[in-house]
Amino acid sequence: MVVADSRSEQDIPEQLHPRLPGGFHLPPFGIHQLLALIIVCVSLWALGVLWLGMQAAGQWVGSWQQDIHIHVYLPADSGRGDELKLALKEIPHVTEVRGISADEAASWMRSWLSDVGLSNKDLVSRLPLTFELSLDEEESRFLFADIRDAAERFGARVNDEEVNLAKVHHWLSQLGYLAWFASIVLALAMALIISNTLRMTLLARADEVHLMRLLGAREWFVRMPFILEGALIGVGAGALGWILLWPLVWGTSDWFSLLQVDLNAWVLLLPLACGGALVGALGAVIATARIVSNDAPV
Amino acid sequence: MVTLGSAPANLCCMSNPHSLIEMQQVMLRYATGKTALSGITLDIPQGQFVYLTGESGAGKSSLLRMFYGGIRPSSGVLKVNGTDMREAAEAGIRELRRHTGIIFQDHRLLFSRTVFENVALPLRVQGWKTDRLIPRVRKVLEYVGLADRLWSYPEALSGGEQQRIAIARAMTANPAIILADEPTGNLDIETARRVLDYLMGLNRQGTTVIMATHDLHLLESHPGRVVQLHSGSLAGEY
Repeated sequence: MVVADSRSEQDIPEQLHPRLPGGFHLPPFGIHQLLALIIVCVSLWALGVLWLGMQAAGQWVGSWQQDIHIHVYLPADSGRGDELKLALKEIPHVTEVRGISADEAASWMRSWLSDVGLSNKDLVSRLPLTFELSLDEEESRFLFADIRDAAERFGARVNDEEVNLAKVHHWLSQLGYLAWFASIVLALAMALIISNTLRMTLLARADEVHLMRLLGAREWFVRMPFILEGALIGVGAGALGWILLWPLVWGTSDWFSLLQVDLNAWVLLLPLACGGALVGALGAVIATARIVSNDAPV
Repeated sequence: MVTLGSAPANLCCMSNPHSLIEMQQVMLRYATGKTALSGITLDIPQGQFVYLTGESGAGKSSLLRMFYGGIRPSSGVLKVNGTDMREAAEAGIRELRRHTGIIFQDHRLLFSRTVFENVALPLRVQGWKTDRLIPRVRKVLEYVGLADRLWSYPEALSGGEQQRIAIARAMTANPAIILADEPTGNLDIETARRVLDYLMGLNRQGTTVIMATHDLHLLESHPGRVVQLHSGSLAGEY
């Protein structure tokens, strides 16, 4: 009959932290997880660069987003200033047309040119009549064409650089949608990469998963280690991707300062880390949803 | 001799108040159309040692799988510990499995984990903390005579020792019932007898043991109730 082993407990080496499966215990970290971390890190870094670019562009046209102005110039000797002003006012989405006096324009120009020696009188005699148009909607399809048509009818000229900036502002808002779309597509791709990695881990540990189910483990208990692992890979990749954004920020800071753009990478830390965790957990849910055990209760 | 406490007393109360397993006209048909079991009517009272015998393909393993909810009967009534195995929800099956010890012919040990981790798994599934696990696992390993192998890996053990680890795992949660699917199938006669000694010992402490086997010679040294299956039907009982 059964006889208990005679060795005393002191003879048996003690292991204080045994590695038990299931629940909140993480599975071992291997080469597959490392590869997934690198791939997701690169994707999150690319997303970070995209959103930093959006931030820079937003700052560059920042003043235009608040108050959109277009200037129209009419030769001073044309004598049709009042007619042009009326024609411009009739254009939809033009909320105000302000005639800028030659003195005001000359003063502004002198300050802009840092008093290069021109007298106010000389400038006034050379400057055209200037009209400043306030707009309430730069996205209107024919707005700039209407302004240009009205100006050309009276022999005036529109400031094309301002028109281009207004268009850039419009494109940037469109680009914002594109950035969101790219972010979602990349997030799904990252979730699938993590899902695939965890799937390989799951296949390697299928026996363990099936056995836990045979012993009456709840589904969350079986899946939790993989979900935790996915979330951790995502957080790690997000944090690493964020750190790798800094060389880019520092390397371009001189060039951006010329454009009066000051990039702030700190605002991306939380979105990248949390976004990473989210896609990691999503990938793990996708991976574990497909584990089927023959003896699972059905 | 190490004793481990008797099996839980809160067992079922069906038509027969002492029945742990009650079967009436149970039939099992697989999706392929093959009928694995038909017309099985059987009562297994609490505390019995039951051998399921029969030729290969007679339905022994299918019957055992039905007892732990691995497959569900196609028709008839099967109640295990009061749980209707045809109608039970997933949660009910899980609960039943927590009070059931299962021993497989290939023992299904996790070779990447230590003996401790293997034996502790049923308790871990039930939410036991690590500090409580170690003394309990040590105790069941003492029962099967392998306490000094606590931190070994299964591949370092012999076939008989591996099967004893599987027995330790099955009994660690102090189950009301132990289902053993040909646990002596790959063992020599002496080792098989030792394995049966352990199972008989558990049975004496109140655990119901149901064991599928081909080794009829074991019945002479370890007598028990024999349920004989033939081609998926009940062929006899003695």
